[in-house]
Amino acid sequence: MPEKLVTAHVDVFRHDPAGGGAPRYQRFTLELPPHTPVLTALLRIRAEQDPSLTLRYSCRSAICGSCAMQINSKSRLACQTPIGPEIAEHGRIVIEPMRNQAGVRDLVVDQTPFWEAYDRMRPHLITDPLRPMPEGRETSMTPAQVEQFRETPRCISCAACYSACPAVEADAAFPGPMALAKLYRFVVDPRDQARQDRLLRIQTEGLWLCLRCHLCTEACPKDVRPSERIRDLKEMAIAAQGGTERGSRHAIGFKQNIRERGQLNEMKLVLQTDGILGSIGQAGQGFKIWRKKPEISKRPRRIEGIEEVEEIYKELDPKPKGDR
Amino acid sequence: MKIAYYPGCVAQESGRELDMATRWVCRELGIELVEFPTFSCCGSGFVDEANQILNVALNARNLAIAERAGLDLLTICSTCQGMLTLANVKMTEPAMRARIDPVLAKLQIAYGGKVRVKHLLEVLVNDIGIEAIRAKVRRPLAGMNVGAFYGCHLLRPTLELGSESAEEPHSFEELLTAIGATPVMYRGRVMCCGFPILFVKPETANRISGRQIADARDHGAHAMATPCPLCHISLDSFQNKASAAVGQKLNMPVFHLPQLVGLALGASPEELGLPRHLVPVEPALARIGTTP
Repeated sequence: MPEKLVTAHVDVFRHDPAGGGAPRYQRFTLELPPHTPVLTALLRIRAEQDPSLTLRYSCRSAICGSCAMQINSKSRLACQTPIGPEIAEHGRIVIEPMRNQAGVRDLVVDQTPFWEAYDRMRPHLITDPLRPMPEGRETSMTPAQVEQFRETPRCISCAACYSACPAVEADAAFPGPMALAKLYRFVVDPRDQARQDRLLRIQTEGLWLCLRCHLCTEACPKDVRPSERIRDLKEMAIAAQGGTERGSRHAIGFKQNIRERGQLNEMKLVLQTDGILGSIGQAGQGFKIWRKKPEISKRPRRIEGIEEVEEIYKELDPKPKGDR
Repeated sequence: MKIAYYPGCVAQESGRELDMATRWVCRELGIELVEFPTFSCCGSGFVDEANQILNVALNARNLAIAERAGLDLLTICSTCQGMLTLANVKMTEPAMRARIDPVLAKLQIAYGGKVRVKHLLEVLVNDIGIEAIRAKVRRPLAGMNVGAFYGCHLLRPTLELGSESAEEPHSFEELLTAIGATPVMYRGRVMCCGFPILFVKPETANRISGRQIADARDHGAHAMATPCPLCHISLDSFQNKASAAVGQKLNMPVFHLPQLVGLALGASPEELGLPRHLVPVEPALARIGTTP
């Protein structure tokens, strides 16, 4: 039975920097079944109403990763997003180019920074010709090892995660979720011989700027779960190298803090992360907060049952790297 | 209803006003808070980065404390909610249990997976109910446009938390409407406050929080409200830094969720700890005809 048609008001971001003129939203209205993908709606608009509408797409099957865009502010593949729920939630469909990348025309963006960040991760197997793998074992891998990178090879490089990421938006030093997920894939590859170097470098190249907001994981059309792979990278970096950076020192300091009292000691944590000198730089702000909230200068109580916490640490965090 | 109260570290320290407001609101709504001085910190996402199994084990211990008392667990912090829920999910994985159960067993602790972790927002909206709250409103917040700010870990990752849409939630706005305020819809309401990197790269963190505050203001908010004390630190305690980072004076009062509910139910600003905020809330209170 054919589906009942819905009226789709599609407000499309239009801009042609080369041709001049200010960015604007142009409304197109069409009748479509609710299951229609947004991409199909846009192609209908282009075919029937405005042939100048510019967008990237190819396979229409969520494989090529070309048609990522903002659909009602969410970074999504247009070919995979039906119009019905969007109309039900918002009454209309606002289509904008991906964020965090400069506009080229209409829905097309310049992906150069996205790909440059990817290249910086050296996303290929690195082997040392002077330390070859034993003959016959060049490609051996246990099922458990394969399991570790079950998710990341599914990535189709659509950049939906990059578009959704508030750290990318705020700081050019952050390589973005996709680049880090790709890095993870080589860090856990037992054939790769640059693991230590990769972990060392990424600690100073943006790893600790991830906000773990998980917006990338929500945006990802292939369930790569980049935020969780970034978490894994952080844990591996700490295990391998300890607290070499502010980010790792903060995580280690927090962990120690809980071991001592079972509760956070806010002041001590700042000292652990910044050191004495760095903390003096924060003192002005600390004083402003202290005037309203004087208890920040007091040591928190030690929880009852702290010896249980200590026992859990002894068993599960026996020889931590970087603890002081 | 009776529930295990997990206040979290910040509400016992710099965010004590959140604890004050929570107790006031729960007393008013007949929610009995059972306290456990044995609860440890949830790890706040940082312990998870340093050692995931340790983090799950610490929270399994917290969950077991509530389970032994036959209670579900109430959080008042998005991050506590996220970490305890994550532990609940991880404790269903056989490989994780194989590592953690023996460690807990040595301490005579066993976790059977029965505890539901509920944030105050969920308890108010689903257990107490929007209509019951609306019926108790004595001072409707009419005239106050409020931008809800959810806090990431209340919503994401959906796979673990999954109670409402991770990018288009509604429960907070429904609650705001029930207490007479006008919710403001803006993109930043589901974005990050910057807190996780506030001590890693402050200038970036401040820029992130400044953008969300400016976004709320540009959409007409007179105030913001958050269910997370970590977001409150970014949005209120460090708002001067956020203003500097985005190059505009923001002057945005930021309430903890139960403070707004408390105001609507008739609490005084002092009972809710409002004088403890760094950004004065008076301009927002003036809109509902209240002066501290």
